[in-house]
Amino acid sequence: MRALAHNKVALAAGASFAVIVVLCLLAPVYAKDIAHTGPTDNHITDTVKVDGQTVDVVSPTGVPIGPTWKGRFLLGADSNGRDVAVRLLYGGRNSLEIGAIATLITMALAVALGTLAGYARGLTDGLLSRFFDLVWAYPAVLLGVALGVALAVGGLDLGIVTLHSGSLLLPALIIGVVFFPYVAKPLRAHALSLREREFIDAARIATPPGPLAPVKIVLTEVLPNLLSSIVVFVPLMFASSILLEAGLSYLGAGVQAPNPSWGTMIADGIRMIPGAVHLVLAPGLALVLCVLSVNVFAEGVRDALDPRAAIRPLR
Amino acid sequence: MSNHVLRDIHNDARTPVREGESNVNRVLRLFVCLSLLPAVLVGLSACGSSTSGGTITVLMGTAPDSLDPGIGATTQSMEATWIAYTGLVTYAHSNGEAGTKLIPGAAESLPTVSSDGKTYTFKLRPGLVYSDGTLVRASDFAHAIERTIKLNWGNKGMLTEHIVGGEAFDKGKASSISGIKTDDATGTIKITLTVPYGPFLNVLAFPAAALLPSSTPMSAQPNNPPAGIGPYEITNVISNRSFELKRNPNWPAHSIPGIPSGHADIDVRIVSNNQSEAEQVLSGSADVFDYNDTIPPTLISKVESQASERYAKEPTVSGEFFFLNVKSKPFSSPLVRQAVNWALDRRALDRLDSGMLQPACFFLPTGMPGHPTAPCPYGDPGAAPNLAKAKELVKQSGLAGTTVSVWGQARSPHKEFVDYYTGVLNAIGLKATEKIVASEQYYATIGNLSTNAQTGWASFSQDFPNPSDFYQLLDAHSILPKENHNLSQVEDPHIQSEIASLSPVPSSQLDSVVGRWQSLDEYTAKQAYLAEFGYDEAPKFVSQRIDFGALVFHPVYGDDWSTLALK
Repeated sequence: MRALAHNKVALAAGASFAVIVVLCLLAPVYAKDIAHTGPTDNHITDTVKVDGQTVDVVSPTGVPIGPTWKGRFLLGADSNGRDVAVRLLYGGRNSLEIGAIATLITMALAVALGTLAGYARGLTDGLLSRFFDLVWAYPAVLLGVALGVALAVGGLDLGIVTLHSGSLLLPALIIGVVFFPYVAKPLRAHALSLREREFIDAARIATPPGPLAPVKIVLTEVLPNLLSSIVVFVPLMFASSILLEAGLSYLGAGVQAPNPSWGTMIADGIRMIPGAVHLVLAPGLALVLCVLSVNVFAEGVRDALDPRAAIRPLR
Repeated sequence: MSNHVLRDIHNDARTPVREGESNVNRVLRLFVCLSLLPAVLVGLSACGSSTSGGTITVLMGTAPDSLDPGIGATTQSMEATWIAYTGLVTYAHSNGEAGTKLIPGAAESLPTVSSDGKTYTFKLRPGLVYSDGTLVRASDFAHAIERTIKLNWGNKGMLTEHIVGGEAFDKGKASSISGIKTDDATGTIKITLTVPYGPFLNVLAFPAAALLPSSTPMSAQPNNPPAGIGPYEITNVISNRSFELKRNPNWPAHSIPGIPSGHADIDVRIVSNNQSEAEQVLSGSADVFDYNDTIPPTLISKVESQASERYAKEPTVSGEFFFLNVKSKPFSSPLVRQAVNWALDRRALDRLDSGMLQPACFFLPTGMPGHPTAPCPYGDPGAAPNLAKAKELVKQSGLAGTTVSVWGQARSPHKEFVDYYTGVLNAIGLKATEKIVASEQYYATIGNLSTNAQTGWASFSQDFPNPSDFYQLLDAHSILPKENHNLSQVEDPHIQSEIASLSPVPSSQLDSVVGRWQSLDEYTAKQAYLAEFGYDEAPKFVSQRIDFGALVFHPVYGDDWSTLALK
């Protein structure tokens, strides 16, 4: 952690990400007390005062107002007269929420299955590894789109678990499943090498035999040694999940309208680029800033936890 | 004397030869007149008269589904095929209501109809030839209709359900259609219907019912469309990229009165980006912006200011609405359906459609016989809605808080319509969420009864100028397990009896029943079986090279390319 504290770029990126998170969490406050509108409230035929003049929020030919730099429509409106700043913050909340849940799912699946495959070896490893390969073989975006489109209309009903088509858990689940082999495979390799180490042999001898003995060894000996890898993967997968969520939402397979996300906002604004560039610029910049800050921070964490980083000339 | 003559000349312009005028003066005057003639002609052409010849480039955002008349069912397809494939009857090439008039096409005159309204007898024009020079024969008609049915034309039900033997032929139980009798020697074509069907002549006016040479294969020919009767022939088809309409070399000698001969060859290119399409026409690098496409909102002001003399919004006979499934809560309650109609701000929906919507609440659009003249029962569609009343009605219904899935298409502005509509439903006390489906699968999804779509966006354009065409969407017979057209699932005895009584009235006699159609449409609006919100307007937009005034915007087929001419 001392190494991380000395990496000013990583710290700045971490701080920048923290600011984004705080702003997004404050979305309801901004919407209620400053913009005085919700993320899905239409104001198509409303007017707004800009520099003393009354201006249509959406012109008769359908072009929305640009940034007013005031409380109402700070970053302008979209075609439905919805406040872009409000939607940006709520969209950020959705993107971050999905990113966090998806990362949780990815890591949970990857840690459980990767460690099991690596430690158990043999048939279990063979079956699990082929399963990883099967999911890995599909490009993540294509698989995400296929699952997203299939579940976008009807939702997911597994009997005990029912997710409605508009639920944010649906894209989170899809992203989590799509990404887990990307983490599970390296964790399996790491676990495979760990199980051959002397301290694991010692633990096997020291642990009383029984059906739960391997579980105890994994929990007490293997997992703590995988922790540094897991910690490095978490922010990287978080950034990737946010990016994939934006991509899926852009293609209509992620967050469902009228719920905002940065991806859906970009998709909605594409056709208006020539006259209302703010519609894609605002969510696009937010997405870049968020993903960049998480990635740079993740790099810093990796460098701090990687012993080889010390010998790198540029520090 | 000279003063007198001068006064005479000024007072009587009709004086052909002036007194005392010398031969030299006459020659001089003739010379001056002749030398001024070219200048006058140039001046006249600059004043708006059009010229023949040249090539005009038309841009289309969406490719026709097929350029084979036996398959093509989209407006993009029929825009091209109706000037290359003339049926026994066709429409007058005129703007507005005049364009809905049926005129004889390949037939000598409009048919004689039997007293029971079931038998139509036509006589072919003598000596007609196809664009490939083949002589037109009466038996070609039977071949063309059979081919259209075999190729599964999208509206083939209009033929199979009404012509005797049509269904048997369609199902393979007969080798020909028993209700069509032709005689090549006399050029007589006799069609017998199962029951009187008012719009039957409109059906025969479709390019899909046009005559084709009997040698035309019974398979689709989208890239090599068959020969037809018309001022143009379709050639050089490159699927989803381009095609050409060349003037038919055999047309001048065999032209049909009322059908323009065409001024220029037409080169059609598919440009899927509407922005690029509009900019090319604005700059003059292409000539015609297809009326089916939407000028991007960000460009409309530019087009209006820079090309006002070559841009106009033309009304079309088509409507945009939200269907309300009466068999599903909460729309089973008339109060909730009426609430939706009270709550819609149709001005807002117009803005979402870039100002190309005429706010309205009646199902039958303006321009369609039977469009009501009564005021809208939900207030002025061009004014603010009454949300308070809508909320009150929902409260009265006892269905406040009911969950509603709103179906919409991913395509813009339809998705924006649904975004807005969902907000309205939530505002009046329902719990609405959206289900957005890819455009290609939209109607198949909501038209499947197992989907049980509660409400959502839909639109409809006339197939022909007869209100029965629109009312098939509210006809109980249109409720089908798949490809359901009656999305609101209306089964209203009054509507059924009126459809049964009004549908047999021939289109030519619609004037006699317009009042009844109006009453029916007012009744439909009061029952709020759907929430109509506007009638589409289409852009008529051309380059500076085109004679804008001469271009006819046809009420059925849009831009009439046979009237396109260079200035």
